[in-house]
Amino acid sequence: MVLGDGTTTAGRARSRWRRWRLLVVIALIATTVALAAALPEPQTSTVALAPDNPSDGGARAVAQILERQGVDIAYVRSSAEATAAATAGTTLLVTGSALLFGDQVDAIAATEADLVLLDPDDFLLGAVTDAATVAAVAPRDPGPAGTPAAPPLVARCDDPDAVAAGSIVASGAGYVARTDAATVCFPGSDPEVGAYLVVDERGRRVTAIGDATVLTNAHLAEEGHAALVLRALGRHDQLVWYVPSSVDFGQAPASGPGLTDLLPPWAGALALQLLLVAAVAAVWRARRLGPLVTEPLPVTVRAAETTRGRGRLYRRSRSYGHAAAALRAAAASRSAARVGLPASAGAAAVIDALARATGRSTDDVAALLYGPPPTDDAGLALLARRLDDLESEVHRS
Amino acid sequence: MALTWRAVVLAALGVVPVALVPVPGTALLWTLVVLAVCGVDAGLAASPRSVAVSRTAPGSVRLTDQARSVLTVTNAGGRRLRGLVRDAWQPSAGAGANRHAVDLPPGESRRLTTVLVPTRRGDRTADRVTIRSYGPLGLAARQASLTVPSVLRVLPEFASRRHLPSRLARLRELDGRAAVQVRGQGTEFDSLREYVIGDDVRSIDWRATARRSEVVVRTWRPERDRRVLLVLDTSRTAAARVDDAPRLDASIEAALLLSALATRAGDRVELVAYDRRLRARVAGANGPRLMPAVADALAPLEPALVETDWPGIVALVRERLSQRSLVVLLSALEPATVESGLLRVVGQLTDDHVVVLASVRDPEVAELRTGRGDAAEVFDAAAAERGELERVAVAARLRRRGVEIVDALPEDLAPQLADRYLALKAAGRL
Repeated sequence: MVLGDGTTTAGRARSRWRRWRLLVVIALIATTVALAAALPEPQTSTVALAPDNPSDGGARAVAQILERQGVDIAYVRSSAEATAAATAGTTLLVTGSALLFGDQVDAIAATEADLVLLDPDDFLLGAVTDAATVAAVAPRDPGPAGTPAAPPLVARCDDPDAVAAGSIVASGAGYVARTDAATVCFPGSDPEVGAYLVVDERGRRVTAIGDATVLTNAHLAEEGHAALVLRALGRHDQLVWYVPSSVDFGQAPASGPGLTDLLPPWAGALALQLLLVAAVAAVWRARRLGPLVTEPLPVTVRAAETTRGRGRLYRRSRSYGHAAAALRAAAASRSAARVGLPASAGAAAVIDALARATGRSTDDVAALLYGPPPTDDAGLALLARRLDDLESEVHRS
Repeated sequence: MALTWRAVVLAALGVVPVALVPVPGTALLWTLVVLAVCGVDAGLAASPRSVAVSRTAPGSVRLTDQARSVLTVTNAGGRRLRGLVRDAWQPSAGAGANRHAVDLPPGESRRLTTVLVPTRRGDRTADRVTIRSYGPLGLAARQASLTVPSVLRVLPEFASRRHLPSRLARLRELDGRAAVQVRGQGTEFDSLREYVIGDDVRSIDWRATARRSEVVVRTWRPERDRRVLLVLDTSRTAAARVDDAPRLDASIEAALLLSALATRAGDRVELVAYDRRLRARVAGANGPRLMPAVADALAPLEPALVETDWPGIVALVRERLSQRSLVVLLSALEPATVESGLLRVVGQLTDDHVVVLASVRDPEVAELRTGRGDAAEVFDAAAAERGELERVAVAARLRRRGVEIVDALPEDLAPQLADRYLALKAAGRL
């Protein structure tokens, strides 16, 4: 008579804890990691001129100042997002033009937003406006390393932003006005070529700054950079900050609604519910009625394995001689016993007796039983069959 | 803790509230409902640990026969037990329908019978008894596995007992009880009786005839009270499979038939199983007590993967036997093992005793010998022929040392060994 399995509630709890504690610890760690990942944290990047890059080459300083002033910054990396967000009444900042393809440039030019272009090349500037072009020479030559830098450029125009900035240190490209719609500021030695360009046409304002470094954290505080940049970018409440990416080729995203848009609104809740049903069904089927019972099994090696192994050895080493000798010896001993010869009888006696019993010639029997060994598979098979014939003749006689 | 299909249905019913209020929160809420209801249901179930269980199983059963394992389940707790009881046995114990539904009010008992049809010889042990107790709603259950030890000894099948009647008839012919006298040289003098036509004239006792008016012949009966020692080799050669059963099983069948025959013939039978140490021994049992003792000793034998210690066997035989006896070695006629083991020491046995080596021949090798299909089969046939020649050679060497050889297919070994015993007895060589 057995009553209970000898455990107590506390003992079972302890053993369950021992069994599950590893899983519990792993689940806790996973939950903690997931929570930590889900927490909003200040994210930074190392992308040049990005609004979340706090290093020297980044532009987080400008972005933070703008946000504090109430400008809403949308940071995008693809031209599709940029053109989608750049509607009329917003500012679109394009931080470079080297990574842009033709259709991306066209898309940017076709937006109705005010444009702020940093160091645009001919291609981009030409697509955006016909009122100005990129000059062949820079307005300010930084000179070779070690020599004293050229003095800062002074506004020398009537654009209020440029006048507010006063002077900048810009070593990039210069721009030449073609029509009256364009205003060129901060000229260098050539008064026609300036580092700052403003074009007002068709209700849109296009600003080009020849040197992108005016925006960076490192140089924002120099001269009048901050004033120039903040006035250019802070013109509207919405700023689309587009940093071109090398992995964006300008293809439009898949059109039409996504799969999740096609599902009815209750689909998510139903899926969750079905997940619960599946989990309960899994627990229902998974629980065994008692542990598995093991069976000590006997050896399963067949006794004929050794014989087969020997056969394979003969075959692999192509031992036709050994195989033929075995077949011949067995046939000879069985036939000799059949015709009444003692086991110790010699070859000549066996040949004579078998020749008499089968009516074959002694040469035939001798060649069959004591001839040269076969040299190939076919010869061996033939020998085996002929030995069978001989035996059957002996047995018939 | 276990769930039932009803819990799945309950979870599926949550589709209704989800359809009415289609937000994920509804599904989560329903999950909590399912968990709570299942938890309460399991909590209200009778404790499977407050159930008293005892098992009654027969001590032994012959292979292929049925045995019944009876569980007595008593609800010792205060709640009604609705549940499922599993009487687990080793797979080879052949417990077919071993799950029993029970509905036990407090304090009551039930007997649950599981029919066992064992499929292998040996000691089959029972595993745990698992009790799953369902809650009042049948949604969830509590489960416990109790250790209720039990062992069922499955005796050898003794299929060769069908050969016993014919061999006993031959034994009676030898014994002088039948009409025909079969007489051997070494038989014992039994009695004198009147000559009838057909009697061997050489058996006429002239001295007795001279004293009486009629011709008198002597009658004879075979020797009785000879000793027969069966030695089972349980080493690695016994483990190899012949016809999908270990060689040992064929040896056991032969040992059983010979024991049955020899004890009816009035001989004293002893049995030992040995590889490198003694595995089983039957000694001193006679008459009706012998066969149960032999079957019981042979039942749990398993081959050990070791080489036979033949000097040890010889020492054991010499220790057990003082007078001339029949020693039957149930082993294998494997050329390599015989040459390195038995051949070196068998002389010490044949000096004092009559030794018979009974070996199981492999029908698969005989099949391989006739293979002519392709080159691989011919090579296999050649290997089989070579093995056979070596067996014949080693058998011849053993015969020269005075060992009788019985080399037969598994199903023929028992009757052929019995025939050899009868022949030895008829020849008076015991």
